[in-house]
Amino acid sequence: MIELKSVTKRFGGETAVDAISLTVNRGELCALVGTSGCGKSTTLRMINRLIEHDGGEIHIDGRPIREFDGRILRRRIGYAIQSTGLFPHWSVARNIGLVPRLLKWPAARVGERVEELMALLGLPVEQFADKYPSQLSGGQAQRVGVARALAADPDILLMDEPFGALDPITREGLQGELRDLQSRLQKTIVFVTHDMDEALALADRLVVMNAGRIVQQGRPLELLRAPADDFVASLLGGDDRGLKEAAITRVAERMQPLSLRLLPQARVHRDATLRQALAVMFREHADRLAVIDDEALPVGELSLRRIVGAGREGGSDT
Amino acid sequence: MPRRDPPINRVVLTLALVALVTWLSLPLGSIAPNRIVPGTAYTIAAAIGWPLALVSCLPLLGLLALAWRPGRLGYPLALGLTLLLLLALPAWLALMAVRHLDPELPQARLGIGAAWWLALFWLSLLLIELRSRLALAGWRLALLMLPVAVGWWVAAGWLEPLALWQELSGRRGAFLEAVVDHLLLVGGAVGSSLVVGAAIALAMRQNPRIERLGFALLNFLQTIPSLALFGLLLAPLAWLASRFEWLAGLGVSGIGWAPAFLALLGYSLLPMVRNTFVALSEVDPGVLEAARGMGMSRGQVFRQVRLPLALPVVLEGVRITTVQAIGLTAVAALIGAGGLGTFIFQGLGQAAMDLVLLGALPILAMALAADALLGALTRRLDHRTDLAAGAAP
Repeated sequence: MIELKSVTKRFGGETAVDAISLTVNRGELCALVGTSGCGKSTTLRMINRLIEHDGGEIHIDGRPIREFDGRILRRRIGYAIQSTGLFPHWSVARNIGLVPRLLKWPAARVGERVEELMALLGLPVEQFADKYPSQLSGGQAQRVGVARALAADPDILLMDEPFGALDPITREGLQGELRDLQSRLQKTIVFVTHDMDEALALADRLVVMNAGRIVQQGRPLELLRAPADDFVASLLGGDDRGLKEAAITRVAERMQPLSLRLLPQARVHRDATLRQALAVMFREHADRLAVIDDEALPVGELSLRRIVGAGREGGSDT
Repeated sequence: MPRRDPPINRVVLTLALVALVTWLSLPLGSIAPNRIVPGTAYTIAAAIGWPLALVSCLPLLGLLALAWRPGRLGYPLALGLTLLLLLALPAWLALMAVRHLDPELPQARLGIGAAWWLALFWLSLLLIELRSRLALAGWRLALLMLPVAVGWWVAAGWLEPLALWQELSGRRGAFLEAVVDHLLLVGGAVGSSLVVGAAIALAMRQNPRIERLGFALLNFLQTIPSLALFGLLLAPLAWLASRFEWLAGLGVSGIGWAPAFLALLGYSLLPMVRNTFVALSEVDPGVLEAARGMGMSRGQVFRQVRLPLALPVVLEGVRITTVQAIGLTAVAALIGAGGLGTFIFQGLGQAAMDLVLLGALPILAMALAADALLGALTRRLDHRTDLAAGAAP
């Protein structure tokens, strides 16, 4: 668990982070979003003491981080950044094994751990272990970066726009993988991004920052439905907000059981988002869809009324 | 689909054509009755007769044909012909010596002419072109050059009347000593400039005022002409040597190796400091941030990340400095520092061009060898560029 209590950071006369308080619970993915220069990266880097905070207190699992030596603290916290920061003169395997070696694990255990992580991140050992970072694609390099951050099995993972430099398709793929990974590993993750879609797709807790302060925090749906002010509303996409809400709601949450009515031709998978369902309706000129499962068998149906009308009340209409 | 012939290789075509013209029109060599009298120049035809001269051209004609239609086997064949031409080069001089040197005149000597030097030059360019066409690794080319080297070594036996050879045979001991002196001066100056330069670069990174002052001083030093710098060092060093006996005992004096060493060190410092400073400063900040974020200590970041990543650029500085120092050391001969420059200035004084060549050719060879070796080392160490070609899709 990470707790920030009225934490402040000044650079010269500028206040970069202004008395922010924030709690990230164990196993939670907390996304810090905001425009550039809003203090989100500074906040992240104060947690592992790459930057020292000037005021307030930061606690990890109840202990103030100033009690730890900065290096020892950082070896216990995973860290992944946008440029990957892979060492270009080290092979992939050596890069991943960095922190375990700093922690003086025996070589055999480091080797085992590296292989385990490469498997976890879908990087075949025989194909990638001896490659150098310059031989990797952007997505592969970022996977290695995440593997390196996870190497010593830290409880906490700090990620600073890790997918920011990737093309949209690779980015979406890696976001999906991170979601899967998180559901298995249950790390406490602080994730900085300026991409609202990414934050909405990944976050358990969304923290919107502006000019060094936290403007609003809460579950993504809470923010989408009740933005605190115009800034949050515009950051959430203004009028597009509705679609963003649709994009993080699954069809399965809104579908109705099969009725006696004839099933429509147009179909959508139960794990698709409402946004995708809307797209199918728009394309097929349909206001009702059949919902199917993995075997393409119908499991329910979804109407436009159900998508739209059920928005606020959480499905109380019929 | 219609079969497409490989296009004409214009580089090989031009080089072979130019080589053919210079080979036939310029003097292959000259015969002089003794060391001082200018010799009589002979073109290849005059030197060994038209029939043999035409034979000597045959591989070049072959190259012309291959350049026109390279084909699948064209490039390996062209490489073979080029190596054959290189192998044969000393033989034509030997033939010329046999035909024209009067055995009654033991002082008579054979000078190497423009056609021969140019042929060597064109053939080297051809080798470079063919090597890149065939994507030949350096060690493979070296292996192929081995028979050429053996051939030249054998041919050296027939070339006793060669003026260069005669200049050398009189001063074998002095020549070896000069080579050793030259290498010691260069090695010493480059080695100490690496140590001193690295120290200065590190100090500059600590303090921007030292940085400005240091670069101003080193840039100023670089603008002093080398002869002037040797002159400027003469008086203070002579004074120091007279003041402190142990310095004189070390061989320090106004002339000799000491001023040469100091001047070389001074000139070497700028490229060394600049490259080391830039190398250390320009390491990707993302990599350094990650290194710190992973929990490496400052020392670990420097030794395991910053230094290895800076090394290729530092080595680039060593390469530039070495090549520069090899050339400058030649001038240092003027103040009695020894080295191969001695022969150059002796030769100039005696109007004996072959003696000048005896000094200049090894300097050229040293500079090329240092450049190639250090360049190869730099590429080997640099993972950012050399492997990028194999990048995954």
